[in-house]
Amino acid sequence: MDRRDALKSLFAFIPLGAAFAGITAMGVGFISPNKREVERRIFTIHLDELEINATRRFKDLRGRDLMIVRTGENEVKALSTVCTHLGCTVSWQDDKQQFYCPCHQGIFDKDGKVLSGPPPRPLDNYKVELDGKNVFIYFKDTEG
Amino acid sequence: MAFKKWIAESFPVDQEAFIKLTAEPIPNHLKRWWWGLGGTPMYMFFVQVITGIMLVFYYVPEADKAYQSISYITNEADFGWFIRSIHRWSSNIMIAALILHMMRVFFTQTYRRPREMNWMFGVVLFLLTLMFGFTGYSLIFEQMSYWAMKVGTGIASATPFIGEWMGDFIRGGSEIGQSTLTRFYLFHIVLLPMITALAIGVHVYLIRAHGVSELKFKGDENEEKKSFPLFPDHVYTELIMVTVIMVILVTLALLFPAQLGEEANPNKTPLHIKPEWYFYPVFRWLKVTNLTVGILGPIFFIFILFLWPFIDRFFEKRLPGKEVSFWIGVIGMLTITFFFLLEIIGH
Repeated sequence: MDRRDALKSLFAFIPLGAAFAGITAMGVGFISPNKREVERRIFTIHLDELEINATRRFKDLRGRDLMIVRTGENEVKALSTVCTHLGCTVSWQDDKQQFYCPCHQGIFDKDGKVLSGPPPRPLDNYKVELDGKNVFIYFKDTEG
Repeated sequence: MAFKKWIAESFPVDQEAFIKLTAEPIPNHLKRWWWGLGGTPMYMFFVQVITGIMLVFYYVPEADKAYQSISYITNEADFGWFIRSIHRWSSNIMIAALILHMMRVFFTQTYRRPREMNWMFGVVLFLLTLMFGFTGYSLIFEQMSYWAMKVGTGIASATPFIGEWMGDFIRGGSEIGQSTLTRFYLFHIVLLPMITALAIGVHVYLIRAHGVSELKFKGDENEEKKSFPLFPDHVYTELIMVTVIMVILVTLALLFPAQLGEEANPNKTPLHIKPEWYFYPVFRWLKVTNLTVGILGPIFFIFILFLWPFIDRFFEKRLPGKEVSFWIGVIGMLTITFFFLLEIIGH
């Protein structure tokens, strides 16, 4: 191949390669789901409806279970019941006062800390805000 | 005669090339039928394509209708239970046959030069088949399959570096839902079959291009010819084997038809969860290791398996005649079997 031919192929392949790369990037962008997340502040419960140490189950905006625990006079915790290992739902074992994940036998205490099994971190907490006696929780939602 | 002439004109086939193609020399060891089971996964793939197309006539890939459509196929459509059972059993036989085939190739070391590339295509085909099993099982949308999907996509999400993107890409979002089902359906009935058919084509082409590797057996030295022709001798053997495998397949489908569990409930993980049998070792491994090791372990295993011909060559150069590959293979098999049995006994 002489210099002229090499130059010709270069001019032919550079735009073609760029077009291909552009179309591929657009394609990957198209098939990758959008992740525009927004946080929403939602009223969940009035403190008078929940005694100290009592729990109540709720669902977040994505339909996942969470548990609200009143831990003190003016203290409330909202704990996700989605296992931090691989996403199964943990169940509360009242007799043992612990959460149990049946998928890979992860165990968490009532505060969500890992007691045993493979989960890499405690159960996730939702951000909670008290406005007087009204309990608000910040939920993540997908925009649109 | 005019018709024959028209056929020859409009569909020109080089007769000599065709005869040559069908007269490929097959090594004598393949006269023993149990050495000729490498084609079983391919026959099972054909069975799955045919039964899969039939199932698509009734399956509805919508989160709130998928389970009902499978229930309709299983309980109401004429012969639906049988078609579904054949589809399910052929996938199980395909995976079992692939494992046996890979073990045979591994322990007879027929992946060695110049067949390294074909071994790698074989590993890719094995992974594709596991993906078929996983996506197909998930489409049922019953409790067990839903939570298997949850764990499976959770594994993808927890993969270092690309995990988050990969998990979201497979699920079509951060949660399992309609987008996940649409994507799994697309993977299962379009992308995976296309890629698998292509990979099978290359795998078979490479077998033809390199020739079937010859294995020596006691007593074979006296035979005058070292090989026999593909057609008709070996083709007949294969046809008999296909018939036998089909009898086994139909018997399994009749005796143990595919069942349907409870409908998926995204809020309640069943107390006893189990994946399909071929994921038992990984499932148990994930229970006894932390998440990073749990995920990197199988990836490392696949990586080693993929590059095995080159690793084997390295050992053979450094420690010639020590059979290092054989013993690594034995240890690997025993470890996988150990985790497999642990998962069975564990419940």
